[in-house]
Amino acid sequence: MRGRLLLLQIAGPALAILFGMVISSIIILAIGRNPLEVFGLMVRFSLGRTDSLFSILFKSTPLILAGLAVAMSFRVNLFNIGVEGQYYIGAFFAAYVGFSLRGLPAAVHLPLALIAAVLGGMVWGLLPIVLKLRRGAHEVITTIMMNYIASAVLLYLINDIFRDPTQVGTPRVRTPDVAAAARIPSLAALFSPFGLTGSDVQKLNALLLLGVLLAFVLAFVLARTRFGYEVRAVSANPEAAEAAGIPNARIQFWVFMMSAGLAGLIGLNDILGFFGYLDIDFPKGLGFLGISIALLAKNNPIGVIPAALLFGFLDRGAQGVQFFARIPKETIVIMQAIIILAIVVAYELLTRYIRAQRKLEAEAAAPVGPPAAAEAEP
Amino acid sequence: MSDLFIELQAITKRFPGVTANDHVDLAVRTGEIHAIVGENGAGKSTLMRVLYGLYQPDAGTIRVRGEPVAIESPRRALEFGIGMVHQHFMLIPVFTVAENIILGSEPSGALGSLRLREAETRVAELCTQYGFVLNPATRVDTLSVGEQQRVEIIKVLYRGAELLILDEPTAVLVPQEVDELFANLRRLREQGKTIIFISHKLDEVLQISDRITVLRRGRVMGTVDAAGTSKARLAEMMVGRPVFLELDHPPVAPGAVRLEAERLWVEAGRRQAVRGVALAVRAGEIYGIAGVEGNGQTELVEALVGLRPIRSGRLRIEGRDVTHARARAIRLMGVAHIPEDRHRRGLALPLSVWENIILGHHYRDAFVNGPLLDRQAIDAFVRARVRDYDIRVADVDAPALALSGGNQQKVIVAREFSFEPKVLVAAQPTRGLDIGATEFVQRQLLEARAKGMAVLLVSATLEEVLSLADRIGVMYGGELVAEVGRGEAGAAELGLYMTGAKRSERPPA
Repeated sequence: MRGRLLLLQIAGPALAILFGMVISSIIILAIGRNPLEVFGLMVRFSLGRTDSLFSILFKSTPLILAGLAVAMSFRVNLFNIGVEGQYYIGAFFAAYVGFSLRGLPAAVHLPLALIAAVLGGMVWGLLPIVLKLRRGAHEVITTIMMNYIASAVLLYLINDIFRDPTQVGTPRVRTPDVAAAARIPSLAALFSPFGLTGSDVQKLNALLLLGVLLAFVLAFVLARTRFGYEVRAVSANPEAAEAAGIPNARIQFWVFMMSAGLAGLIGLNDILGFFGYLDIDFPKGLGFLGISIALLAKNNPIGVIPAALLFGFLDRGAQGVQFFARIPKETIVIMQAIIILAIVVAYELLTRYIRAQRKLEAEAAAPVGPPAAAEAEP
Repeated sequence: MSDLFIELQAITKRFPGVTANDHVDLAVRTGEIHAIVGENGAGKSTLMRVLYGLYQPDAGTIRVRGEPVAIESPRRALEFGIGMVHQHFMLIPVFTVAENIILGSEPSGALGSLRLREAETRVAELCTQYGFVLNPATRVDTLSVGEQQRVEIIKVLYRGAELLILDEPTAVLVPQEVDELFANLRRLREQGKTIIFISHKLDEVLQISDRITVLRRGRVMGTVDAAGTSKARLAEMMVGRPVFLELDHPPVAPGAVRLEAERLWVEAGRRQAVRGVALAVRAGEIYGIAGVEGNGQTELVEALVGLRPIRSGRLRIEGRDVTHARARAIRLMGVAHIPEDRHRRGLALPLSVWENIILGHHYRDAFVNGPLLDRQAIDAFVRARVRDYDIRVADVDAPALALSGGNQQKVIVAREFSFEPKVLVAAQPTRGLDIGATEFVQRQLLEARAKGMAVLLVSATLEEVLSLADRIGVMYGGELVAEVGRGEAGAAELGLYMTGAKRSERPPA
C-alpha cells in the first residue's frame, strides 16, 4: 500500500506534465503545426547540443534558489510571494558590495558579496513577516506590495544614485563593474579539458553548486535536526505544535527569513556570475517562477532541483522552437502555465485520494485494533 | 407476538475495504422501544442510514409491515412512516418552534400565504397528545438543549412518522433532561409509536428499551429482552470478552498541592470564558470537572497548560508561580496534557507515529545531540513506548492518521505519561473511544493517581467523573459553581449544578 501511494505521488507531476503537453498540442495544432514535430525539435535542440545543456544548467541555477526560497516559506504555511522583490534588493546589495569595495582578495570579497545578498533579501522580507506575526497582515498582500516598491527602488538606485558615470550619455543604465574579486568563478575551467568551450560553457558558474548544496543542506536540516522537526510539526499542525511547546511564531519568523535570504541569492547568477554589473534590464520574474517550481517539487528541497531543470529545459526549448520552427515562444509559456494548473489540480485530487485511502485503511483496521489492544491490559 | 413494523433480512453494506453491515437481521415490533448498541464502527449508523434511505444496501431485504420495499431516500422513508431524529440538531435559531417544525412542509393558503396559525395549533395538539412541554411560539434560540431535542422529535412526528430513529439522543443531555426524554419516549410508546434507540450507554439502554440488539464489527451478536439481561452481559456481547465495568478505586492519601489556581479569569475573544475559578489539585488525587460542554472548561484547561493567557488571578505549580509561563516552560515543570481534541491539539496527523510520540519531548536533552535529533535514542524510546502501551502500529514511520482513534489516543497517553509528569491535565480523554480503549485510558488515569500524580480530569461524561474522581467541581457559565467530595453527591444533584439550577457556596480550596 505504501509503495503504491509513493508511486501515485510521483505519478502526479508526470501526469501534470503530460496534460500540459496535450493542451499545448491543441494550441500548436490550432496554429497549423504538427505538435510531435515541435516537441521533437524541442527535445533535439535542448538535449542534443552541448551548448543547450550548459544553457539549461545556467538558466536552472537561479530557479533552484527561487524554488528553495518559496518552498521554505510554504513549509511553515506562509506564502512568500515577495521572493521577486527580495532578490532585486539582494542583487543590489551584492552589486554594491561588489563595485564599491576594491582591493580585497576574492576569498574575502566574494563571501562578503554573498552575505550582502542574503542580508538584502532578509531586509526586504522583514517588514512583511513582522506585520504578519505582530498584526496579522496577510503576507501575500504585503509581499506583493513590497515587490512593487523593490522594483521602483531598484530603478531609482541604478538610474539616479549609482549609475556608472562612464556610461552617462549612452542608453545603458547600469552600475559600475563589480570588482573581479567579487565575481562568482565560472566552471568553464572544469570542462575545457574535455574540449567543451563556448559562451554558454563560460556562463555556467559556481552558484549552481551552491544552489545544489543548499538544497541538500535544507533537506538534511528538515529531516534530521531539532529545528527541522519543529518546522515540520508547525507545518503539519500548528495547534498541536503549540500545545507541545513549540513557539510557532518564532519558527515562522526564522523560516521566512531563510526564505528571504535564499531569495537574495537568486539574482547573483547573472549579476556576479555573468554580467559583472547590475543594469535595469537584468532578468526579472524568477521569483514568480520559483512559486511554480516549489509547487512542482511539493516543497521538497531535493525535488526543487529536477523541477528547476524542467523549467530550464522548457525555456531553452522555447528558444529553439522560436528560432527553428518559427513558433512563438509564448506557446511554451502557455505550456508552462498549463503544467502548473494541472499540477495544482492533480495534487489536490491525489491528496484527496490518498486521504480517503488512508481513512479506509484506518477504518478497516479499527475494529481489530482496540479490543485486541485492550486484552493486553491485565 | 405483536406484529413487526420493520424487518431487515441479511442486510449487507460494503464500503471499499470494509463491510459495515454483514448479513444483518433485525426485527422491530410495532410499539416497542428497540435499542441498538455497539461500539464505534460496529455498524449502527450505517444500518440506520440504510433504513432511513440515505444508503442503499448491497444485499438483503427490507420489509415494512410485512411488505418488501426499497427505500431510496429519506422522503420515501417518511412515506413508510420512518423518521429520524439526528444527533446534531438541524434547527434555525431565529425561527420559532412552530416555524422550525413546518420547515420543508409549510401549510399554505390559496395565494401561497403561510398558514402559521394553523401550524401552531397542530404543533400544540401534538405536544398535548404526547405530553411534550413546549410553546410553539417560542424562538428556538431561547430553548435549552433538551427542549431543542423535543422540537426535533415533534418535527418528525409532524411529518407523520410512526417509527422514530433516535441517534445517540442522550449524548448532549444532562441527567434531568435524560429523564424527561425517557418520559416522553414512554408516552410515545403508549400512543403506539415505535422507537429505535441507538446508544452505547448501557445503563440508559437497559432503563428505556424493551428489546436490545447488539452489533459487533458489522454483525448482529443477538437480540435480547432488556428485562432478561445485564450490563455486564451486554458489554461482553459488544466487545467479545468480559469487561470490567467497575473500576477499582483504592483509597490513596493525597499529598501536597501540585496545581493551584487562584481566581482565574480567562478570555475567549471578548467573552470572559472563565470567571474567577479557584481550585487545587493534590498529588495522588483525581480532581474531576463536570459540566455541559462550552461552560469554560476548554479555556480553563488551555490556561492551565500555558496555551491561553491568564487575564487575572494566579496559577501555581508545586508552589511556583507560572501565571504567565509559556507552554514549554510549564511542560518542562512536569505538566502533561491530554488535549480534548486529539486531532486539533494532540497530534500532527501527517507526521509519523514516532514523530508524534516525541512531540513536546523533542527538546529534551535525551533526544538531541547538538542541533541534531538523536535518532538512536529516539528509536529506543519510541520502541519502548509502543511496547508498553501496546500501540497497534505496523510501522512507526507510518503517519499518525493511519491509526485508529483508540491507538491515536494511546500515542498521546504514552507520550504524556513519559518523563514522570507531576501533574496531568486530561481533557475529555475517552471521547470517541470504544469500551476497550476507554477502559485502557481510565485505568491509566487511576494508575497515575496511584503513582502520586495530581490529575485534573475534565469530562463531559458525568459517569466518568463520578467513577474516577476523588473530588468533583462543576462548571457552569465559566464559574465553578460547586465542589463536592467523592460520594457526596449523585448524578441528579450534579445535574442541577450543571444546568445552573442550583449552586453551592463551596468550601475554600
